[in-house]
Amino acid sequence: MKTGWRLGVLGIIFVGMFTLLFVRLWFVQVAASAEYERQAQNRLVDIESIPAPRGLMVDRSGRALVTSVFVPHVLVDRSKVPAVDEDRLVQQLSGLLSIPALEIWTKFEAAGSGALVDLGGVDTDTAYYIWEHRSDLIGVRIVETPERRYPLGAVAGHIVGYTGKPSAEQLQADPELDPNAAVGKGGLEAAYDTYLQGTPGFEAFRVNARGSILEELQGREPVIGNSLHLNIDLDLQQVTEQALRDAIDLANQIKRQSGSYNGLARRGAIVVLDPRNGDVLSMAAVPAFDPALLREVTSRQLQALVDSDEFSYNDLAIAGQYPPASTFKAVTYVAAAEEDMWPEGVTGPEDRTECSAQLKAPFSDGSQQVWRNWTYPRDDGYLNLHEAFARSCNVYFWEVALDIWNTYKGTDREDLLQQWARDLGFGSKTGIDLPGEQDGLVPDRALFERYKQLQLENPDIGLLAEDRLTTASPWFGGDLLQMAVGQGSMLATPLQLAVAYSALVNGGTVWEPHVVARITDPEGNDVLQVVPTAVRQVPLHPETVQMLRDDMRRVTTVGTAASAFAPMGSAAARVGGKTGTAQMPKVCAVRDANDKCLQYRDSDRTSWFVGAAPIDDPRYVVVVMVDEGGGGSQVAAPAARFLFQYLLGLDTTEIVAGDRNEY
Amino acid sequence: MAATSSLDRAVVGDRPRPTPDLVLFLSFAALSAFGILMVYTASRALLETQGLDPSSLMVKQAIFAVVGLVLFLLMSVIDYRDLAGWSVPLYVITLALLGFVLTTAPVLEVQRWIQIGPFQFQPSELAKLTVIVVLAAVLAPAREEGMKWRRLLTALALVAVPAALIFIQPDLGTMLVLGFITLVVLFVAGTTMPQLVTLLATGAAGVVAVFKLKLLRDYQLARLQSLIDPSADPLGIGYNRIQSEIAIGSGGFFGKGLFGGALTNLSYVPAQPTDFIFTAVGEQLGFVGGTLVMVAYALLLWRLLVIAANARDRFGTLLAVGVAAMVSFQVFVNIGMTIGIMPVTGLPLPLLSAGGSAYLTTALALGIANSVWMRRTPVPGR
Repeated sequence: MKTGWRLGVLGIIFVGMFTLLFVRLWFVQVAASAEYERQAQNRLVDIESIPAPRGLMVDRSGRALVTSVFVPHVLVDRSKVPAVDEDRLVQQLSGLLSIPALEIWTKFEAAGSGALVDLGGVDTDTAYYIWEHRSDLIGVRIVETPERRYPLGAVAGHIVGYTGKPSAEQLQADPELDPNAAVGKGGLEAAYDTYLQGTPGFEAFRVNARGSILEELQGREPVIGNSLHLNIDLDLQQVTEQALRDAIDLANQIKRQSGSYNGLARRGAIVVLDPRNGDVLSMAAVPAFDPALLREVTSRQLQALVDSDEFSYNDLAIAGQYPPASTFKAVTYVAAAEEDMWPEGVTGPEDRTECSAQLKAPFSDGSQQVWRNWTYPRDDGYLNLHEAFARSCNVYFWEVALDIWNTYKGTDREDLLQQWARDLGFGSKTGIDLPGEQDGLVPDRALFERYKQLQLENPDIGLLAEDRLTTASPWFGGDLLQMAVGQGSMLATPLQLAVAYSALVNGGTVWEPHVVARITDPEGNDVLQVVPTAVRQVPLHPETVQMLRDDMRRVTTVGTAASAFAPMGSAAARVGGKTGTAQMPKVCAVRDANDKCLQYRDSDRTSWFVGAAPIDDPRYVVVVMVDEGGGGSQVAAPAARFLFQYLLGLDTTEIVAGDRNEY
Repeated sequence: MAATSSLDRAVVGDRPRPTPDLVLFLSFAALSAFGILMVYTASRALLETQGLDPSSLMVKQAIFAVVGLVLFLLMSVIDYRDLAGWSVPLYVITLALLGFVLTTAPVLEVQRWIQIGPFQFQPSELAKLTVIVVLAAVLAPAREEGMKWRRLLTALALVAVPAALIFIQPDLGTMLVLGFITLVVLFVAGTTMPQLVTLLATGAAGVVAVFKLKLLRDYQLARLQSLIDPSADPLGIGYNRIQSEIAIGSGGFFGKGLFGGALTNLSYVPAQPTDFIFTAVGEQLGFVGGTLVMVAYALLLWRLLVIAANARDRFGTLLAVGVAAMVSFQVFVNIGMTIGIMPVTGLPLPLLSAGGSAYLTTALALGIANSVWMRRTPVPGR
């Protein structure tokens, strides 16, 4: 039969078709069977994760700052919602939850198709309604979800921090992470996130294709995260925050009375540290941060708050960088005493020299600059080291710097003062257990050379800080003089000053400050015990330490802060400190959308006070900073005095303006 | 002497009795029986949850199997050569039924069934058989090599009418079966190479035109697209394929055992007793079971080709070839769809899928092929 070959071709085609089927069947059932088996199991068992509550935060006496409660949340499992029904479901939920449909769609799209979307917490009535109508709301679940609660509201907000959904990078780094989980985003929530996160539980069900539960399988209860026990004292924290607000009000009251000012005070910070171990006893900053607000207001309202300077993610106590001004004189003071550097004609702390109205600084290179003391046009008489410190005589400390400059200029000891500053913790992070800390700045020749080079290469570069150093110049003796009184390019955070003063009054131990004292698991067993860590031991002669303490006492009894501490009466002698009034050349008045400054204005002075008590055996170091607050003796010192009254168990008296001296 | 007498016996009296094709029959019977069992495993759980008798679908399928057996035997007894005379009325009746079905109310957006008592009859199934018979009748008188264009076009025109009616239903799968049957029968009937190339080129152009002119319904397009990435639309049409592939894959080499398939038992695979019956085989009986089923089909096709080669006339050859084309295409597309190499086209697996029209059509077709076999040698005196 002639058609035979055609049937043969047909036979070969059939063999080809069957071979293809056979090979594919081999792949599906033998080669890749394990993977299919895994997917099959996933389809048969429905696992619903139960998020774990985050651990608590309690203060040093066990009072709660942050707790967790369970709130029913509405979750939509998009993988269970048929695409054609999604639009209808969104309309239903929009009506039910009073959320605009557009907002729900936005959340859906952000989560991606097939994802589990958290539409937020609802009251129990709504939760019950949804639960009862669950057959009409395919893919919608009510899940008891832990939420943060803040019994004291915004108190210690910056320290507590906040939580949020994990970022894309975090999700990529940890595939196990639930996209709807809460992870720490700021403050302690972020710093101790791994401790605070509990272990999520799950419920497991055997289900059929339509999702009907056939059998409940062994699940797991969620376990709450570990608790943070803070060094913070909640009473003190509240008093501190109030004192800061009062100090800012006081500054603005003085401004309004005088009628002449460049801008109102809106920012400030207070740090209270235990100089014996670095425990952070309280820490406050304005603009404040209220973690609860993040959930309560819309993102637009939040932006308005941030723009109005009433709310900030930035904790100025650790991230605000300001010239420390005269508070830095304590560093120059110990450098002078320990290194034997003195004004011309002075050989020791007891020798007096004239605190003239101005200093015509004769530099060794022959140039001469004129520097005015804050008393200009008056002179301040003949002063020794103790009196110069108490009266904050700039000329005396300039002359110490001049001695360093003229003796060591160009040698490897030129940076002697900078070395003391760095040893005491300036110019680098203190290592506090909070995110967002800033370095501050200790200027020296190398820094200036570097920036000069940078500016030559790129004239548009902003130098150091846009408003603090506007021209690139070589390192002059004048720069060192500026630094000796905490001005010029010198920058420090309030926390750095607290750490440095702690070291100065405790005999030289630079502590790493800590907010958290220990961490316990849900059963109360210790998970982590924070041992005070000494970063460095600065070699200080005990006589120098005692001398500085005595001179700090002089400040509060007869010196620049005497009027501010007068309400303490004789107890002022139990306290020591130093005022500071920083000159801020320019601040930005108008910024564009990219945060670039369009217009500068003159700034008012930054008000500083750093103190310690009891001064003979210090247990507390207090730093008060009010940005554009005016004179240190006027605003910061009275606020510090109020805190010392509280800390020493004395009757507190109202924060009222101190004398205006020291500029 | 003895040798001569035996030769005489063959030529003269005592002619060999027409024997049925035993392998064909046994494959047919084995697949039918196995189909009843598979239909039961794939349907009992779902029926139970619906509060129905879990064996009801199986019982229905068993009834079809009995009727199918009768039809197979009936067609075997009838001389296939008489079918040539039936081709005209058969063609007219088929067109009438296909036309009628378009006047019925759509079910799931398609018009495919005619309700007869408790049964649904699907005229498009009958159309497959009609096309085989008509093609064989028209093409049998052709020259064995080098078909005339006129005859080729006549054959194409005859197929085009029922194919168009089926396309309107719409039933893409059946239309493709008709296309494949036509192509294969024309090839075996002696088309020249230029004719074959023209045919394939026209077919390809037709497919492109269908896409370009948006003649396909959205769901048909979606089904084709789901072949490319089924996970893109897990709840859409790709769902079936993903579920069936997972069920088969999880069966592994030996399967989960009869009644042991979790996905089968929990009704995870939609349309499982019908179009996705192979999923039940794959999950429960594994690679071994699936291979055995394919071996049974391979035996069927082998026998159909042998029958075609040994038919006493070209009409018989083309009938057997048409049946082989129908079975092979459906087996390939259906199993291919359950393991992810073919789009979901809604073609039943011959003899295994639940459903009367398809089953009876296959039984009739195989009966015809058996009839061709039984009359393979010229029988003296007839």
